[in-house]
Amino acid sequence: MFWTLLKKEMQIELRSKEISVSMLAFGLTVILTFAFAFNVSPIIFKTFAPGLFWIMILFIAVLGLHRMYAYEKDFDAFSLMVSAPVDRGLIFLAKWVSGVVFLFITELLIVPPFLLFLQLNLVLNVYQGLLLLLMGNLGIMVIGSLVSGLAMRAKMSEVLLPILLFPLVSPIIIAATKATVGLVNRSPFWQWQIWVLIMGTFIVIFAIVGYTIFDHITEE
Amino acid sequence: MRFFADKKNSVWLGLVLLMLAIDMWVVVTYTPMVPDQHWAQKIFYVHVPVAWTAFLSYFVVMVAGILFLIKKDYYWDRVGLAAAELGTMYTTLVLITGPIWAKPIWGKPWIWEPRLTTTLILFLVYIGYFMLREFGGHPERVARYAAIIGIVAFVDVPIIFLSVKFWSPEIQSHPQIEMVAQPHRILIPFFYSLITFTLLYIIMLRFRIHILKLKHEEAENGL
Repeated sequence: MFWTLLKKEMQIELRSKEISVSMLAFGLTVILTFAFAFNVSPIIFKTFAPGLFWIMILFIAVLGLHRMYAYEKDFDAFSLMVSAPVDRGLIFLAKWVSGVVFLFITELLIVPPFLLFLQLNLVLNVYQGLLLLLMGNLGIMVIGSLVSGLAMRAKMSEVLLPILLFPLVSPIIIAATKATVGLVNRSPFWQWQIWVLIMGTFIVIFAIVGYTIFDHITEE
Repeated sequence: MRFFADKKNSVWLGLVLLMLAIDMWVVVTYTPMVPDQHWAQKIFYVHVPVAWTAFLSYFVVMVAGILFLIKKDYYWDRVGLAAAELGTMYTTLVLITGPIWAKPIWGKPWIWEPRLTTTLILFLVYIGYFMLREFGGHPERVARYAAIIGIVAFVDVPIIFLSVKFWSPEIQSHPQIEMVAQPHRILIPFFYSLITFTLLYIIMLRFRIHILKLKHEEAENGL
């Protein structure tokens, strides 16, 4: 059943490309804003880059999350889905995994312009970089899927989502930024593995909480 | 029925007020001056109990949230809301008393100290919680969502604390670490203060739950 739900999310996105295109376009405008706002030497940019990168990812993730649940509102699709005999926890898992995939694809497309426009000349370990992106995405999306699931069905969802999400996701932002600093400075992995472990702990805990509690979000 | 018409409650309130008055008197006159900190240290007899009460209150929100989701009894929703309100009030006090102590001791009012940072993050989550309560729409749904936020927020606390602790390892000069080595003239008033603030919290929580119950009854009866 999980695969069916995941397939549904993927198919909708493949047909409309709504989420990825919005996230990518928004990401590019954020990079432009950063480039203008921090118009200083590339060396200083390098110091700020990890933090700026994760701010950008958080912003585009909020946009993506909003879109992911907004189309469920059309024709009351969400109510139809939860009225099906499906384990609601699986709906959460499918939303989470598809969110991670969409964000990951967007990131792969947005990293080159990020490096280019901010004039960052970095030599990175690709595997470690991909691991970090994946962990950051899993962390942001696990709590994001949970919070946007409930914010969507409340009034003022577009305001409530970031207000609730940003403080709750702060351990991931701290850990992802710190780990990226280690990656950019080419420090050995053991020096920043603690941050990957913190992200891992966060992901496992909230995956279990989300799976267990999502039933109460979808109740009519 | 009026809350304080119940003799038990009025005795409790009187006792707590008396204990509070003694607490303040003891803190000002009996507790010794700590070298280098002087009067600034005295705020810790308020700051730490208030912080403890704030976290206790958010713990109550989580427990009430779990019970509400399981039992669907609106009593637990009211407990959760009352505890969230009090928790946020106490958190505000923590965020005020922390910088009052930090300014003379650390030289600046704000430092990203793990406990203070965790408190600030929780405070921000609860701003969202109250916005959801106030503007979320459908009351039954909002009650469920608030319970979920209360649970998620408290589960997040240890991870936030750990990540901030590793993020700024140089900030470890929080005085509570040395508490064990303190003389009894500091320790006894400190624990007395802790008990007083906890008792004050309990009566406040019960009073608030009572008011929320009256409001609920009023709404149901269409008065």
